[in-house]
Amino acid sequence: MSLLWQVLLNGVLLGGLYALMALGLALVWGVLNIVNLAHGAFIMLGAYVCYYAFTGLSIDPFAALPLAMLVLFAFGYLLQRYLLNLVIRAPMFNTLLITFGIDVILTYLAQIAFSADFRTINPSYAGDNFALWGATVPLVRLLAFAIALALTLAMWLFLSRTRLGRAIRATAQNLIAARLYGVEPRNTYALTFGLGAALAGVAGGLYGVVSQVNPYIGTSLTAKSFAIAVIGGLDSPLGVIVGGLFLGIVESLTSLYLGPTYADVASFGILVLVLIVRPTGILGRTA
Amino acid sequence: MAPILAVRRLTKRFAGLVAVSAVNFELHDREILGLIGPNGAGKTTLINMISGTSSVSEGDISFNGRDVTHLPAYRRARMGIGRTFQIMHPFPGLSVLDNVAVGALFGRDDSDRNLARARALSREKLDFVGLAHRAEQRAESLGGPDRKRLELAKALSMRPRLLLLDEVMAGLNLVEIEEVIAVIKKVRDGGISILVIEHVMKAIRSLSDRLLVLHHGEKIADGAPQKVLDDPQVIDAYLGRKRA
Amino acid sequence: MRRSILLGVVGIALIVLATAPWFASASLIQFGISTLLLATLAQSWNIIGGYAGYASFGNSVFYGLGSYGTAIAMVQWHLPFGVGLALGAALAVIFAVMIGVPVLRLRGHYFAICTLALAEVMIAIVSNLDVAGGNTGLVLPLLRGDALFYELSLGLLVVTTLVVLWIAHSRFGFGLMAIRENEQAAAVMGVDTTLYKVLAFALSGVFAAIAGGIHAYWITFLDPVSAFDIGLNVKMIIMSVFGGPGSILGPVVGAFLLSGVSELLSTEISTLAALFFGVVIVVAVVFMPRGLADVGRRFRQLGWRYFAENVRTHRV
Repeated sequence: MSLLWQVLLNGVLLGGLYALMALGLALVWGVLNIVNLAHGAFIMLGAYVCYYAFTGLSIDPFAALPLAMLVLFAFGYLLQRYLLNLVIRAPMFNTLLITFGIDVILTYLAQIAFSADFRTINPSYAGDNFALWGATVPLVRLLAFAIALALTLAMWLFLSRTRLGRAIRATAQNLIAARLYGVEPRNTYALTFGLGAALAGVAGGLYGVVSQVNPYIGTSLTAKSFAIAVIGGLDSPLGVIVGGLFLGIVESLTSLYLGPTYADVASFGILVLVLIVRPTGILGRTA
Repeated sequence: MAPILAVRRLTKRFAGLVAVSAVNFELHDREILGLIGPNGAGKTTLINMISGTSSVSEGDISFNGRDVTHLPAYRRARMGIGRTFQIMHPFPGLSVLDNVAVGALFGRDDSDRNLARARALSREKLDFVGLAHRAEQRAESLGGPDRKRLELAKALSMRPRLLLLDEVMAGLNLVEIEEVIAVIKKVRDGGISILVIEHVMKAIRSLSDRLLVLHHGEKIADGAPQKVLDDPQVIDAYLGRKRA
Repeated sequence: MRRSILLGVVGIALIVLATAPWFASASLIQFGISTLLLATLAQSWNIIGGYAGYASFGNSVFYGLGSYGTAIAMVQWHLPFGVGLALGAALAVIFAVMIGVPVLRLRGHYFAICTLALAEVMIAIVSNLDVAGGNTGLVLPLLRGDALFYELSLGLLVVTTLVVLWIAHSRFGFGLMAIRENEQAAAVMGVDTTLYKVLAFALSGVFAAIAGGIHAYWITFLDPVSAFDIGLNVKMIIMSVFGGPGSILGPVVGAFLLSGVSELLSTEISTLAALFFGVVIVVAVVFMPRGLADVGRRFRQLGWRYFAENVRTHRV
């Protein structure tokens, strides 16, 4: 029984992080109608930023998170502004393909720059645990979970309460009207995509502390983010949290009862099932 | 003679909203029935249910004596129901000629499978609507009025028995409207029964044998054009005065 | 006039390709086999992605099913190669029909994502099947003679291309293109969209499966990860898109060109080749999203403005 509780807790903690990962993808998909197949690569890059900040500059990985956010924001902004904006009015398939290509480029550039070795970010407190009702909770996982949830909440507030957030949503819904109000779409699109990338960057930094990173983790993280975005719907950060927790728990249980190699199958399998049965997601609409 | 189309208690609900409510009517052979009503009255939804684009919540539809209520759209097309779309639906990357050829190849059950003959038939239809000179152009390059002509040609190439027209005259000038009316009458004379949704009042009055009025999804009048247009209920519906 | 020139060029190319084993080096023949199989994959993808407009990001599943069908038939049940290929093709058809019916109801990008996820799931499933040799895979009987595999691959490519040629001029192909251009309008005009989509999916699967079977026998070894190689999806899609989806020769030309350049780069650094594909997709999607075939058609009218036009109409 306590094993089950441990597994569930692991799933929840991981799920919170997954939700943050998916948030960036869902934001860009819901607002820009861009399905970013390179999303996982952004996460991977965020992890490497924190890794090198830690090993090269001795910055605590959690303190380096804003750095990861900034770097990925800038990268995402420029990418959207000067490349993706060129194809944004083309059929969906074109953006799928171009982000596919970007994913390939980023993965292989990372391979050349960082080598294919697995890395983990190991701050001094990485081994600290504490007990919670009979289960062991690693400190870093709890921290990651808390930060992930806080950021998701902050994102929801940003999009619904601030002027800039509302401008972003307005531009998505009605380009012409937005222009009449003086919103410059090229910039707004770039800001939105940058935001999505920044979220991926933070998620990556957190992922680097709780798990291993190499240039190839992108694909499966992208797929997991999709699964969560599709399950939870694109319009509500709440849906993304639910989706993330759901996936985290399912993966954890699958690992326990079927073996760890099945964890990925579980997420892909769920994605397929949800798409077939209910493409509109559980809590929100899908674009 | 049995009606070509008989619609009984036809109802469509969308998540709490009733778009069409218990509508009954019949359409007879070679009749032009005009369907009018204020915006949001449910006219396009009604047509969507007849063509099979939308599913039916309640009621039934029979075409040529056969119940088609739950048949998929393509089967109804093969039986002889053709339609145009209000928001036009061309095949953008195909040529104007090939757009029409799709209808010739797939329209009726006994349609010709030969590509060359289908294209020849399509040329006739393009001639009929006055688009023959644009046969080789890509459909996406057509302007508004030409797109409407193409929509009509596509529906005609299916050799339908019943034609559902959804606002073919919107955005046309007076001369073009007269042309379209003449074309529609020619189509009817060729043996096709027509259900027309239209907002241009003068046009629908001179075109229709009978008028059907929808308001908030319900049928509120059905009869000869002048009688219907003089009906106080219909006038109320359009002017928006609340009924006591 | 142009058509006969094209036919002439194709004819000469075929003759050169068919006689290659007699004058080309061994490594060139091997490169040839890989390229011909890739070209077949690109062409088979063309049927579902190019003509029907349903961009499958998971056709590698069919390739893997073909590989495993052939391998299992030959290794576990000691059946001849031809039967193995047929079994692989049958598996592909069954998969296409069973999975195709629910999955082809999904719109564009959902279909793409779903097929991608399916491709990943299949790897895991096959890894756990004993008859398929689990994680360790299977070893097939050895057949020496690259020339034979080369001619088989060439033959397969020719057959696949002839099928695409037939599609382009048939009522079936017309229906597929109508579905691609506007599925709702196609249905309302009498096209049985479900049937046609599933048929296209199955057809694309059959040729991909046979390619997989030939490949498996040629390299005599397969395991789940390499048989269901996800990277193949990247390649077949961009080769087809680069060459011209919805055209007859586009995917073949795209495959030959890109394979050739990638091979040249591979001799430098192997990761450089993968990088190359990524860059090609990005550049192609921005400047020539409809592939070389479309460039060929419209360059005469528009010249270099063709590329600028593509950007102009798609940018914000």
